[in-house]
Amino acid sequence: MSATRSVRQAAVVGIHALPYSKDMGMTERKAGALAILGALADAGLTTHHVDGLVRYGWETTTEMEMARNLGIHNLRVFGDVDFGGGAGPVVIGHACEAIELGHADVVVAWRARNRSSGGRPWAAQIMATGQDQFERPHGLVRPSDGMALHTRYWIHRYGWQAEDLGLVAITQRDHARRNPMALMRQPMTMDDYLASRMISDPLRLFDCCLETDGALAMVLTSAERAADLDVIPAYVSGYAAGSGPDCYGMTFYYGDDLGVTPAKYVAPELWRNTGLTPPDIDVVQFYDAFTPQVPISFQEFGFCGDGDGPEFIRSGAAPLYNTSGGGLSEAYVHGFNLLVEAVRQIRGISATQVDGARHCLATGGNVVPTGAVVFSKERR
Amino acid sequence: MNEPPSFPLPVADADTQTFWDAAADGRLVVQHCAACGHWIWQPKPVCPRCHAVDVPWEEVSGDGRVASWTVVRPPVLPAFAPFTPFVILLVELDEGVRMVGQLAGDAGELLVTDGGPEGVSMGTPVALRWREQGEVTLPAWRIVAR
Repeated sequence: MSATRSVRQAAVVGIHALPYSKDMGMTERKAGALAILGALADAGLTTHHVDGLVRYGWETTTEMEMARNLGIHNLRVFGDVDFGGGAGPVVIGHACEAIELGHADVVVAWRARNRSSGGRPWAAQIMATGQDQFERPHGLVRPSDGMALHTRYWIHRYGWQAEDLGLVAITQRDHARRNPMALMRQPMTMDDYLASRMISDPLRLFDCCLETDGALAMVLTSAERAADLDVIPAYVSGYAAGSGPDCYGMTFYYGDDLGVTPAKYVAPELWRNTGLTPPDIDVVQFYDAFTPQVPISFQEFGFCGDGDGPEFIRSGAAPLYNTSGGGLSEAYVHGFNLLVEAVRQIRGISATQVDGARHCLATGGNVVPTGAVVFSKERR
Repeated sequence: MNEPPSFPLPVADADTQTFWDAAADGRLVVQHCAACGHWIWQPKPVCPRCHAVDVPWEEVSGDGRVASWTVVRPPVLPAFAPFTPFVILLVELDEGVRMVGQLAGDAGELLVTDGGPEGVSMGTPVALRWREQGEVTLPAWRIVAR
C-alpha cells in the first residue's frame, strides 16, 4: 500500500498592495495594517477569522503589535524570518506549514517598508559588529557593493556582457509600462541602460532596484476553506528554503564554492517538494534587487545550463519573468510584490498575463538564506 | 563646529579582539586550527570543521590574488565621499581564505581612482599594506608583480 499524504494544502485567497510611492506619508505600522485589511477584504474574510500572522524579521511591526492594532483575538501561529529579502517565500512557507498541519486556519503575511522616505538602512549602520566589522570599515556598505563582487565573478566565470544585464532591465521596464501601479513607466532602451551611471562597477543605476515606500499582504487558508470563498485560489504546490554553507548577509563569498548562491540549495528541494520540473513552470518572479539575480536564478533553478542564463533569456526560450516590472521597475518591497504578482498570474489578472498560466515560481533574495514557492491553478 | 562624518567602526568582541590587536601592530593574523589544519575566516568561536575550541591565531604574509572587485561610486557614506571612486577587493590569501579590503598604494594610502580598476583583474597578485582610517588600522592590498 502506498503512503498517502494526509496533510491539507494551503492556498492564497487574498492579496492587496497599497499604491507604491517615494513617500507614503504614513508609518509602516499603519501601511501594514491597511494592506492586511485590504487582503482580507479581497478574500471575503475579516480579522475575526485570522489566527496566524507571519512576517519578515526586518518588519518593524511585530506580529503581536499588528494583532493588537487590528483587534485579532488570538494568534495560534506567529513568527518571523530573518535575512532581509530572502525571507519572503520562507514566510509564506511557514504560513503553509501551519495550515497544512492544522495549527492555524487563516494566516496572513505582510511586508510594509518605507525604504524610500525612511532612508537607506546602511546609512545609519556606523558601528560594525559581528561579520560587519570585517566589511563595513572597508567601504563595503551598500547592498549593491556586495552584489557587485558576486556579479564581477559571474561575468568572469561565464563571460556575461553588460548587455545581458541590460536586457533584463529593459524587459522588466516593458512589463512595468503595462502595469498602472509601477513606479517606473517611461521606456528604456539599451543605450539608456548603458548610459546609466555606475554605482558599484559592474552594476549601473538601472541594474539596481527602486527605493520605494510600499505595503502588501497575502491571506492563506486551506484549499478546503478556499472552496467556500468567492475567489480564484492560488494553490501552493510546494515551497523550500535553503542557506548553503557559510552564508551571511549578502556576502556569500567566504565558502568553498565562490559564485554559488543559497538558491542552488533551494532548487532541488523545491522540485522535490512540488513534484514539478522547470519546464512545468509557465511564468517566474525571480527576486531582483539587482539584474544579475535573474540570469543566475534561471541557472541555479535548473531552467538552463550553468552559465547559460543570458543566452536562455535572449533566445526566447525562457518563461516570462518579473511580469509586474519587479523590484527594478514596479517597486522594491523586499520581494513581496513578486509574491503578489505570482498570485495575480494564477488568477489571470496580471498586466502582463501569461495565457493559461498554471504554475508560477517566486523566489527570495538569492545571496542570503532564502526560499522559493510555486503557486498553481489546480490543487495537487 | 560639526563633528567630521564617521567611518564605520569595527566593534571587536572576545572572538575577534586578537585580530584587531594584531592589526594595530601591523600584523595580519588568521585562525588556523591546530587540530585539523583548517584556515578559518571570518573568525569563529570554534573550528567549524572539527569543533576544536581555542583555535590559535597565526600571522600570515597577506600575499594573495584578487578573487573579485568592485569600483565604488556615489552615493556612499559621507565619510567615504571624498575618496570615491575607490576599489574594494575580495582577496584570496595564499592560505585559501578570502578577505575584503581596499586597493591601496605602496604606502597603504587609499587609492582614489579615475573610475577604472587601476590594473586590477581576476587573479591579479596583491600584497598586504596597512591603512589608517580614523582610530583604526585596516588591512589593504596593493598590486604587485609576482
